[in-house]
Amino acid sequence: MNFTITRQNLHNGLAAVSASIPSKTTLPVLSNILFEASEDGVWMSGTDLDVAVRVKVLADVKEPGSLTAPGKKLQEITRELPDQPVDITTRGEQIELSCGASRFKLNGLPADEFPTLAEVDFSEGISVTGKDLNGLIHHTSFAVSTEESRPILNGVLWELRDGEMKMVATNGHRLARMGVKVDPTGTPSADFIVPPAALTQVQRLFKDGDQLEVARSGNHLGFRADTTEIYTRLIEGTYPNYDQVIPKDNDKVAIIDKKAFASAVRRMAVVASDQTHRIRLRFESGRAHLNVLTPDLGEGHDEMEVGYDGEELEIGFNANYLLEVLRHIPSDEVKFAFKAPERAATIEPAGDDAADYLCLVMPLRLID
Amino acid sequence: MPDSLPPRRILLVDCDAFFVQVARLEDPEGAGRAPLLIVGGSPSGRGVVTSASYETRAYGVRSAMPTSQALRLCPDATVVGVPRGSVTRRSREVRTVLEELAPIVQAASVDEFYVDLTGTERLFSPETLTDTAWRIRGEVLERTGISVSLGGGTRRVIAKLATNRAKPAGVHIVEPGSEQDFLDPLPLSELPGVGPALAKSLRKKGLVTVANARSVQPDWLERWFGPRRAAWLHRRIHGIDRSEVDPHDQRKSISSERTFSEDLDRDEDLDHRLLELATSVAATLRSMGVRSRTVTVKLRDYDFTTRQHSRTLSEPVESNQAIIDVARSLLTELRTDRRVPARLLGVGLSGLTDSNQRTQLALFEGTEGPQESERDRDLSRVVDRLADRFGYGTVVSGGLIRQRPDSCDPKKPRQSPPRTRDGHS
Repeated sequence: MNFTITRQNLHNGLAAVSASIPSKTTLPVLSNILFEASEDGVWMSGTDLDVAVRVKVLADVKEPGSLTAPGKKLQEITRELPDQPVDITTRGEQIELSCGASRFKLNGLPADEFPTLAEVDFSEGISVTGKDLNGLIHHTSFAVSTEESRPILNGVLWELRDGEMKMVATNGHRLARMGVKVDPTGTPSADFIVPPAALTQVQRLFKDGDQLEVARSGNHLGFRADTTEIYTRLIEGTYPNYDQVIPKDNDKVAIIDKKAFASAVRRMAVVASDQTHRIRLRFESGRAHLNVLTPDLGEGHDEMEVGYDGEELEIGFNANYLLEVLRHIPSDEVKFAFKAPERAATIEPAGDDAADYLCLVMPLRLID
Repeated sequence: MPDSLPPRRILLVDCDAFFVQVARLEDPEGAGRAPLLIVGGSPSGRGVVTSASYETRAYGVRSAMPTSQALRLCPDATVVGVPRGSVTRRSREVRTVLEELAPIVQAASVDEFYVDLTGTERLFSPETLTDTAWRIRGEVLERTGISVSLGGGTRRVIAKLATNRAKPAGVHIVEPGSEQDFLDPLPLSELPGVGPALAKSLRKKGLVTVANARSVQPDWLERWFGPRRAAWLHRRIHGIDRSEVDPHDQRKSISSERTFSEDLDRDEDLDHRLLELATSVAATLRSMGVRSRTVTVKLRDYDFTTRQHSRTLSEPVESNQAIIDVARSLLTELRTDRRVPARLLGVGLSGLTDSNQRTQLALFEGTEGPQESERDRDLSRVVDRLADRFGYGTVVSGGLIRQRPDSCDPKKPRQSPPRTRDGHS
């Protein structure tokens, strides 16, 4: 294998792929990047066996071939190279890199030791825009569970229906759901439970203007646009019936200024218990009171004007859950709706152009 | 804090036979009228002694002794169960009084409180630390009905040891500068952290008192006990203790481990030990009124390789069932990684939170099966109450019964007459 590539193209390719390389691995070849040179360019691939990233970069290929080489070292070297063409050649299992007066030889491993990436037939897939996909990921994936006890909740549920797609994520205490309208294409409905690590790569590597092809093959899902491909293992199992737990009868509604509310919650959170992060909200006509009382630490109080004319209601929350939700709500005002102190509360963007976005936070029980 | 700074004034307030006092206060007509009172176990002699009145101690009755043995030593004693709820309430009352009387109070256990009076010399002047201790004792007794003993000194460990001299219902203060004179005649076995095994090996070297150990060159201690233990022992016998009285200090973890007399390799044997350990730490957890989010299992292989796996749950748990489930799956992981005979097994619980603070409501409760149900918790609490009344082992997990050496297997011919738990035929 021999090709010449601009330093910038090499750098871009390595940057795209190396984020999928595991930092620690018992399988040495996974620390490497697979180079596959053919007439029209060089494909670079990296994987941690769960998620794989493959990108094509422009290069002048003189001799096709393939080899794997240590990803992190290549990236560090490329960062320090002068902005000149880089010549890459393989000699046996070594990769030689020369740029200006700099010369490097790195030990690689044969290409056939690199795990085979999932084979996905994109002709069977669907087409989505980068904007829709990235929007859904950004607004929902923060809510996934990071605990091992229920693996199904470690993934984001992606529901595809003709004319609409939705993403849902929850850790069992809070939930985020967003939907967007898409052009009806007549493709059958599908549900995927996608690891958030793969979605992070999707967000990172596809731009809003990209048109993506998405297809499933067995237990893998592939994303592709132009010269970038991402493959991920899907989480198997049945996602809990989230629709059943979303309250439809939350009749006490407060319209709140998001920024002011988030500031007040952050202030209260300073004095909240670092175990439960519990703060207490009391809504009365036109006002919200925020309170925190933590034994052995102290207490705090804050209040603000809100649009509320329901009965007085007192409800406790984990301040972190509220803040996370508020960070993701796109509008300046939020619609906070309740039924009772021990029932799920919903938070939605307020306003005319509000998106189909709903967050749900389970309260903390107030015991004194 | 360097020892060269002005001497600290630390008191350890220790409730005298606390469980006995509480039982008497709760039941003045019954337990209150019995001078010979044993708390813990049942009148039929099952279970162990949690606390014994000073009158019964004269007969040789001690805590942790099987109640049956205690009753043989002192047949006229009245036995009552542990008044668990009232113990916590009355402990809080004592703490509240102490917090009014001293700037820094740390509950070391349900019946022991460290109090730091450093900086109050002028405030309480001309009262000496001994006077202050007697005043605190009087005030606590008057307001809570609980009699306490107080030990005092410039360090926590000195205060702790002085308390042993103060009991019952007294005060013993070790004056600044006289710490070594106080320590020297004490038996080494009395030092906190010197257990029966260490005391025995010290005795083998002819070291019985603190003075004996101080006369040995540090090099020898190091050669005998290893550098870490020798350094620790050196600090103990010289009364060096820089730990502070920390009012926010709470126990951060609970663990129990067992070194086997012979290495165990059979899954059933390890599972049996795991059940015992998990059940025991879970009971301690509940007695402290807390729940745990992180379960750890530790395994030491025959070749001294020590490995451990932990799991943090989404919700803190307290039931035997939930803790056993997690511990079992962790042990399976450890045994899958390396399957060799084990010499030690341990179970630990951390990430402790107050049970009453567990208040995060779950989205899928009931429909999804959280880590433990209310039923699991209720079941464990009932087991605790039965253990309080009739002794540990009244109700145990099925896995423990199957392998209990004293259980009767109908298929097996009896080799010897069946024995009861007390060892009587």
